[in-house]
Amino acid sequence: MAEPAGRGAEPVLEVRNLHKHYPLTQGVLFKKQVGAVRAVDGVDLGLAAGETLGIVGESGCGKSTLARLLVRLERPTSGTILYKGEDVTRLSGRALKAVRRNIQMVFQDPYTSLNPRMTVGDIVGEPYEIHPEVAPRGSRRQKVQDLLDVVGLNPEHIHRYPHQFSGGQRQRIGIARGLALQPEVIVADEPVSALDVSVQAQVVNLLEKLQSEFGLSYVFIAHDLSIVRHISDRVGVMYLGRIVETGRDAEIYDHPTHPLHPGAAVRRARARPGGPRPPRADPPDRRRAVAANIPSGCRFRTRCWKARDRCALEVPALAVPAAFRGEDSPAAHDSACHFAEEKHVVPAEDGPGAPVG
Amino acid sequence: MPGPLLEVRDLHVEFRLRDGVAKAVNGVDCAVAEGETLAVLGESGSGKSVTAQAVMGILDMPPGRITGGEVVFRGRDLLKLREDERRGVRGREMAMIFQDALSSLNPVLSVGYQLGEMFTVHRGMSRKDAKAKAVELMDRVRIPAAKERVDDYPHQFSGGMRQRIMIAMALALEPDLIIADEPTTALDVTVQAQVMDLLAELQRELGMGLVLITHDLGVVADVADRIAVMYAGRIVETAPVHDIYKAPAHPYTRGLLDSIPRLDRKGRELYAIRGLPPNLTRIPSGCPFHPRCPLVRDVCRTDVPPLYEVEDGRGSACHFWQETLHG
Repeated sequence: MAEPAGRGAEPVLEVRNLHKHYPLTQGVLFKKQVGAVRAVDGVDLGLAAGETLGIVGESGCGKSTLARLLVRLERPTSGTILYKGEDVTRLSGRALKAVRRNIQMVFQDPYTSLNPRMTVGDIVGEPYEIHPEVAPRGSRRQKVQDLLDVVGLNPEHIHRYPHQFSGGQRQRIGIARGLALQPEVIVADEPVSALDVSVQAQVVNLLEKLQSEFGLSYVFIAHDLSIVRHISDRVGVMYLGRIVETGRDAEIYDHPTHPLHPGAAVRRARARPGGPRPPRADPPDRRRAVAANIPSGCRFRTRCWKARDRCALEVPALAVPAAFRGEDSPAAHDSACHFAEEKHVVPAEDGPGAPVG
Repeated sequence: MPGPLLEVRDLHVEFRLRDGVAKAVNGVDCAVAEGETLAVLGESGSGKSVTAQAVMGILDMPPGRITGGEVVFRGRDLLKLREDERRGVRGREMAMIFQDALSSLNPVLSVGYQLGEMFTVHRGMSRKDAKAKAVELMDRVRIPAAKERVDDYPHQFSGGMRQRIMIAMALALEPDLIIADEPTTALDVTVQAQVMDLLAELQRELGMGLVLITHDLGVVADVADRIAVMYAGRIVETAPVHDIYKAPAHPYTRGLLDSIPRLDRKGRELYAIRGLPPNLTRIPSGCPFHPRCPLVRDVCRTDVPPLYEVEDGRGSACHFWQETLHG
């Protein structure tokens, strides 16, 4: 990405040309590689201190793999992840451990990401076993209780097990665990998708409160566009392993220039009858490409209504499209399309209470 | 207005569990007219799926038990029918679309065979004719190249296409009523819109009654005529779709609508309903929503609110519905 975070802030996290390919093999005894699933295929992004970067995309676009790469649960095939200027992709052992302390993750499913046989106290306190320097043994219980209090759980429940909590409460436990080591970056992979509507709002509010309290930076991955917009400063749209459009939230939602714009989902956003009917989703008959077989040139071309010959030959770069360069308009944001043009999404201004999604 | 196609009266369902009796449905009353789309909105545990299963006659019994009420379909109380009579109603007169198409389809049989089964079993058609019918149905739900794909297996289709196959299966015998339980929840946003559009279109075309069960307020706004909001096994508000979005008459509905992120509230805290959905083995006394309600007063803790008539065709189970409506 051309300019990472804006406002001149030093990026905490900077990703350059990141790839993660999983080999596809054939044969039982003598495995031979016949191809690769290119789950993440050249991602660039930056995250400034205190900022929230939202990542949206359909399932299979590689957003979860990206999350796992950022916290180094996966080793990238190539590319660099700079944490405060230091490349963490080649680190191992003690140096990696030190970096991991600062980049923590909150998982999607609060039911499977907590060990059912551990008490809440053990779950939230486990990071201290790995990083004893953060909290000396004697102070741990107190620290864990403080964390439970911070995320809105009763500190007395330290001896309870995950099954004694509801989905929303479990997600709070997951968040407390993520906070335990006082990280600077939290990567949240669909943190509210599994929760009920009335509880989603509680957890989103909690994440925002924690951000301002502890100066956290978030990478917030989700497919619910209205929530991503609510929480994000900037948004990146992912398609088949690449970020195809990125900008401030209003630029992406109201002035998209890439043909795969979140408008497809804004379609859903007409949460009130009689409101403006958002544009139709892309046609159903076009076959979706998969990460094991990425089209040449622009990877979106097989579904794109604008596709021309050039799209099959040339990979479009993620940059401000020529048409808008130098302009001071909301359309002047990075978009990886040869034929980028501003699409005015019917603004949701049919009254003060118009919802976005 | 056409008469009701389906009328559920005072339905009660409970589940016997080890740690008590979970009262999943506690007196649901609702009706669906011919050609009408009723959206049933609720969070998990509100009893929406259990109500649907009781209506379809596919509730797991035990542990489930229907402890009271009637399900009147075209003048007959389905709960009084024998199982074999019930089977004749299912599929032919009412059909269901499930959330998860992959686990609802048999992975070892081709989709054409599974669609054709509807005709061989219910209509006694030959395999060959049934297969032709299957292709026709796949065309109808706009599966591209239906003829070539009729012998494919479920795993060879994408999620959206599989959900189309489920829709085709429900449509096969041209039922009068379709119950769709979270038909788009498992799908990507772009695909959700396509599947919802298709469902709405077919419903209009065939004039079926449609019960759409969902937790997604956005989906509902686009296609439903009427909404019933469920909480703790009861319908707490029912109204034409326009009215409910404009002016909800129950604090729970209001809370749900307010917790949707909006443009003009970006950067501010989202409205959140406090507390948690109730445990069905210990439903609060009085109004089940009272521990979470911003308007709670003494009467709410003791008296169960009936479904007050707000205006013609609108009801709210809140003692203070007037305040909610105008507040």
